[in-house]
Amino acid sequence: MHITVEKLAKAYGLLWALREINFELKPGEFVAILGPNGAGKTTLLRILAGLVLPTGGSVRLDGAMLSRGTTALRTKIGFLAPADHLYENLTVKENLHFFTSLYHQKKNFDAINQALKTVNLTDRAGEYVVNLSSGMKCRLSIAKWQLLQPDVLLLDEPYGVLDGSGVDLLEGFLQGQCAEGRIVVVASHHVSRVLKISSRALILNQGRLTFDEVKREPWPNFDKAYGEFLPHGESWRS
Amino acid sequence: MALLRETYLLLWKDLLLELRRRDSLLTMFFFGTLLLFVFHFSFDPAPEKVAAMAPALLWLAFLFTGTLGLAQLFHAERENHCLDALLLSPLDRGALFLAKSCFNLVLMVLVEIVVIPLFWILFNLRSWNLLPQLFLVTLLGTVGFCVLGTITSAITLRARARELLLPLVLFPLMIPVILATIRCMENVLRTGEFGDAIPWLRLLIGFDVIFLTVGVLIFDWVIES
Repeated sequence: MHITVEKLAKAYGLLWALREINFELKPGEFVAILGPNGAGKTTLLRILAGLVLPTGGSVRLDGAMLSRGTTALRTKIGFLAPADHLYENLTVKENLHFFTSLYHQKKNFDAINQALKTVNLTDRAGEYVVNLSSGMKCRLSIAKWQLLQPDVLLLDEPYGVLDGSGVDLLEGFLQGQCAEGRIVVVASHHVSRVLKISSRALILNQGRLTFDEVKREPWPNFDKAYGEFLPHGESWRS
Repeated sequence: MALLRETYLLLWKDLLLELRRRDSLLTMFFFGTLLLFVFHFSFDPAPEKVAAMAPALLWLAFLFTGTLGLAQLFHAERENHCLDALLLSPLDRGALFLAKSCFNLVLMVLVEIVVIPLFWILFNLRSWNLLPQLFLVTLLGTVGFCVLGTITSAITLRARARELLLPLVLFPLMIPVILATIRCMENVLRTGEFGDAIPWLRLLIGFDVIFLTVGVLIFDWVIES
């Protein structure tokens, strides 16, 4: 799966959330999208997910334009919102059953049980989602996308709700996805954590793409580009 | 077939959630019966006059009750941004429209099954033998209400004052359905058969078919705009 973003722009009324965004994503890439609040990270993810239509420009998946009505392409895109996208009054198992059926991937109970075991939610399988903590909901979302196996997985600020073992679980899952040739895109403010596992970084500022490089060590260009968003005298590594 | 399978899946989910929460059905049921009691204490006409007023009074109750249900129609999808989760999936948007319309229809029919006989008891009407025909007309009108209600509910979904906006958009569009249903019911109550009301019945069926088809075709645009 290749993603090509060309001249992407999004305006909310008179405010441009994104302007002239161009980049390409190749199979197996783990991309960190960074930038200050209001930079356009979530808007970019939502456009890549097909949830928001751009004002201008295009997003192409293997050459096919992502637009309204392209439902077949949607099986290839996953969006992991840490504690969202789950029905609160369905049980953990019912949620997984519902969403796998929605993606025409009706999994048997063994596959669902195995996914729940991976995220340590086996003993919560019959519980309503409303009774789960945010961290547990995030684990359930991981199980959901583990079952659905999309070619592109987008994540918006996934670290905030997870404890230490949850972070390990998430990072192991994401690295596994990349190892299998899938694309992972993470928008986050946890710069040091996300850069530890990503292979490339994009920086957005006021809706414009100001930095796009493959990770290297040392990385003076990134230090300089991201430094302006940090409190005076601080490093993103700290 | 995929459309029907997805519709069934979404309907199963909505019915299961309603079975567990029961907010929409209970609210609609109590509001519907409450309105009947208000009508009962407000008017005390002779039975023959009640028969003439019954269709309008019943539809007044159904409209207000149904609007309560429509306001809650996408409640589960608003929680936890579940609508995004549905739109993210390869789901045919027409299936979402059909499932929501069917779900609202189930709730309305359950309320009507209680409200119509209760109306007959409260106003001491004797024409019980006409109830099957009246239920048929009510069902056709309810289908129109649910289909149009689902479209308008989706249009107003992201509006700030959606509860206020919904009836303002829906009620004017519902005029043909209300008019046709009331005329049909009046005729059945007066003559015991459809007779002169057949053109109204055709209008009702036509309205249902047209808006059901239009809904399936345009719901993609409506829900994603």
